[in-house]
Amino acid sequence: MKRRGRGIACMLYPVGATSYPNPGSAFVKVNPDGTAVVFAGATDVGQGSTTVLAQIAAEALGVEFAAITMVTADTEHTPYDFGSVASRVTYVVGNAVRQAAHQAKQVFLAAAAEVLKLDVSGLDSAAGWVYAKGFPERRLPVAEAAARAYALSGRPPLGASTFNAATTFLDPETGHGKPYPCYVFATQIAEVEVDTETGEVVVVSIAAAHDCGRAVNPLLVEGQIEGGIAQGLGYGLLEEMVLEEGKVKNDQLVDYVIPTMCDMPEMRLAIVEEPEPTGPYGAKGIGEPSLLPTAPAILNAIYDAVGVRIRELPATPGKILAALQDMRVPSERGPS
Amino acid sequence: MPDLAFVLNERPVEIEVAPHALLVDVLRDHLGHTGTKVGCGTGECGACTVLLDGRPVNSCLVLAVRVGGRRVVTIEGLAADGGLHPLQQAFMDHGAVQCGYCTPGMILSAKALLDTCPAPSEAEIREGMAGNLCRCTGYAKIVQAIGAVAHALACSSRTASPGA
Amino acid sequence: MEFAVVGKRIPRHDAVSHVTGRTLYGVDIVRPRMLHARILRSPHAHARIVAVDVSRASRLPGVCAITAADVPCNRYGFTHVDQPVLADDRVRHRGDAVAAVAAPTPERADEALQAIKVEYEPLPAIFDPIAALGPDAPRVHGDTNVAARVNIRYGDIERGWQESHEIIEETFRTQMVEHCHLEPHAALAELDSRGVLTVHASVQRPFLIAADLSKILGLPMNRIRVIAAAVGGGFGGKNEITMEPIVCLLALKAGRPVKAVYSREEEFQATTVRHPYIITCRTGLKREGALVARQVSILSDTGAYVSWGAWTLSKASIHAAGPYNIPHVKTEGVLVYTNNCVGGAMRGFGVPQVAFAYESHTDTLAEAVGLDPVEFRLKNMMKDGCVLPTGQVLDKVTLQQTVVRAVGLARPEEDRTP
Repeated sequence: MKRRGRGIACMLYPVGATSYPNPGSAFVKVNPDGTAVVFAGATDVGQGSTTVLAQIAAEALGVEFAAITMVTADTEHTPYDFGSVASRVTYVVGNAVRQAAHQAKQVFLAAAAEVLKLDVSGLDSAAGWVYAKGFPERRLPVAEAAARAYALSGRPPLGASTFNAATTFLDPETGHGKPYPCYVFATQIAEVEVDTETGEVVVVSIAAAHDCGRAVNPLLVEGQIEGGIAQGLGYGLLEEMVLEEGKVKNDQLVDYVIPTMCDMPEMRLAIVEEPEPTGPYGAKGIGEPSLLPTAPAILNAIYDAVGVRIRELPATPGKILAALQDMRVPSERGPS
Repeated sequence: MPDLAFVLNERPVEIEVAPHALLVDVLRDHLGHTGTKVGCGTGECGACTVLLDGRPVNSCLVLAVRVGGRRVVTIEGLAADGGLHPLQQAFMDHGAVQCGYCTPGMILSAKALLDTCPAPSEAEIREGMAGNLCRCTGYAKIVQAIGAVAHALACSSRTASPGA
Repeated sequence: MEFAVVGKRIPRHDAVSHVTGRTLYGVDIVRPRMLHARILRSPHAHARIVAVDVSRASRLPGVCAITAADVPCNRYGFTHVDQPVLADDRVRHRGDAVAAVAAPTPERADEALQAIKVEYEPLPAIFDPIAALGPDAPRVHGDTNVAARVNIRYGDIERGWQESHEIIEETFRTQMVEHCHLEPHAALAELDSRGVLTVHASVQRPFLIAADLSKILGLPMNRIRVIAAAVGGGFGGKNEITMEPIVCLLALKAGRPVKAVYSREEEFQATTVRHPYIITCRTGLKREGALVARQVSILSDTGAYVSWGAWTLSKASIHAAGPYNIPHVKTEGVLVYTNNCVGGAMRGFGVPQVAFAYESHTDTLAEAVGLDPVEFRLKNMMKDGCVLPTGQVLDKVTLQQTVVRAVGLARPEEDRTP
């Protein structure tokens, strides 16, 4: 018999860290034609951080996304970064990029101020134009402002910055302190179908609502959530390294099974945007948290469906069948 | 060493290969086509997928000598004119790419799927693509990208032949 | 506030390069005259190394071989400097590297590996993390297998038990899992025209790799350059050095570029994994379902080396009580050495293990007091101004919003207000 059930799981997860220093840094160079190169030490391992950093740079400089070139993850050509870990790159390196871009922007705004005959404090830039705040018709292309900065002011627009959220080391006795700059929150609800004959679980759907602060790129945020759910599903149901005397017995992808396209449920996503004042444009992070609620939501759904509580991951058909068997035993004995 | 002659991305190729050489190694190491990736070397992950006479194969399981006289398409040759194939464009637009390591094999498998089944259901896409593993995306956007291309192809063929 | 670029669904900057196969990952980078490296690993989970003889391998044409004797500083680690580049006194798990070779072809490198002779004296090994705590358990390092302890205390746990009407305890176990990034670890080392040792590596933290290489190789940092331009997935698995020092040492010895790529077997056996945890949650509640006290104990199997084990245990311990408002919390974490695979960083860094435990436990608690799982969570969850067991005060707590949104998505066809 196939039975359906639903399970919920919530979580909180920190972004970056403050119990140890973990700075990120960036250099920004605006070219005479208004394009720019951003140098940042952070590595894009697929999560999309380089794209997000380019968006932050474009926003901060007031230029088009296509005007940004990124140079990343080179210990000789880019400034220090702690690493693509702890869901920290958008928050930490994003802040460094924003600050560095802001510095470079002040230089070409100053060059534009001379042309527009306005104080630099009255100027801003967006979408490739320097404009007077409140009077957007008084404007100058960023390219012209940047060219003047080089050719007339003799000041190439450059920026260099580091961001490190204030460090507070934890009390070794109590563990007290402020180990993290900020938190994200999430809830996932899994719907499963459990076959009581075979113990097999099909995940029908996952509803996932994640707070990531401001979503700098919702397409990439969704990708992180969907990918996290896949890894969480593998963690909950499929994956386990089997060791015998320390030797991994399933050391190939044929016998260590990760989710395929057929294992993945319908995913319904909601991004809860609560801008974080200390994040770049309110952004926090999403990388790691996305997989946290998936496994417990699935296991709670299994319990809801068939009444068995699996306390050892992964919830394999064998474990579920055995638990169903144990549950039936007393009733088979009849009332005592 | 035997001479091997085959057609790679519409161009004839002649090369000396060891009898035991695998197609994936010949493509990557001898012909510089590194768009074909190796994820497992045992035919499980699909990252090394290429099209052999239009059919998807795991090039890590194919002896190079077996492709003599046949046509091989790798990701480098998918779009003939140096532009983008609709699947490549759709993978970009739908965010179906993260680290990108599975992407070439994924796109070639999708091409083979749509060639044999031009209007697949979502279930047919998932079944047809189950041999290609991705650890980053959770597959949702890959399914959407392939579905979108199938839909566009169906619309354009209707426009092209309104009587059909 | 409306932004011009932030908030937009922009395709990845490198999407064109990825979909056309032009992206060069670590595994794709090649150099003329490049040698191929292979690493010899231990056949034993625990053994004393009596002798390593690479002389026969070194005599093969074009082959260069190294052992621990070639490593200037043969220990690394973050909190615990306990891990060798190439094992010297002992091997402590099956993934330990004992020697390495570089050769003009992969076939010759395999042949050279076969020609290395290692004499081992097998030692008793320990695989069970609970047994590893016992007084007579074989020791992996030093005189105790306890590598680290983490304690978090908030409120007064004894008072919490007294104020509870019901106390429920459950124990959960999590398994060892692998990152399975599709691109294996890969690295190529070469001296550039200036004499800078340049390493193209598939890693998440090039600056950490460069700093570790500087210490291990005894070279100043301005003579080392690490580039991680395109990485085919990491998920925490590429958070530390693996073969980078080995390809560097081989490249320096051979005077030629040297590249290594891990096999999938090596990915499983020799790289880090997610720590298996044994987690006991004991929770006291009021009759109407309010949480009063929670004690969590965690036993983490870090395998042969600590790697990120102490930090993952710390993050797990801090978050082990979950996103719930609990006045009295006590968490005790213990990190134990065994001769298993090495636990390291993996997406979530210890928290997926405890999240599985605390959220399963939460459903058990809800049922015990007769509340719906959603209702129970809403009743007890963190809100603005709530305090974590570390004393950190939370703000902008959107938990409740996420519950409402998820419930709405899970049952879009029904009108359901929690």
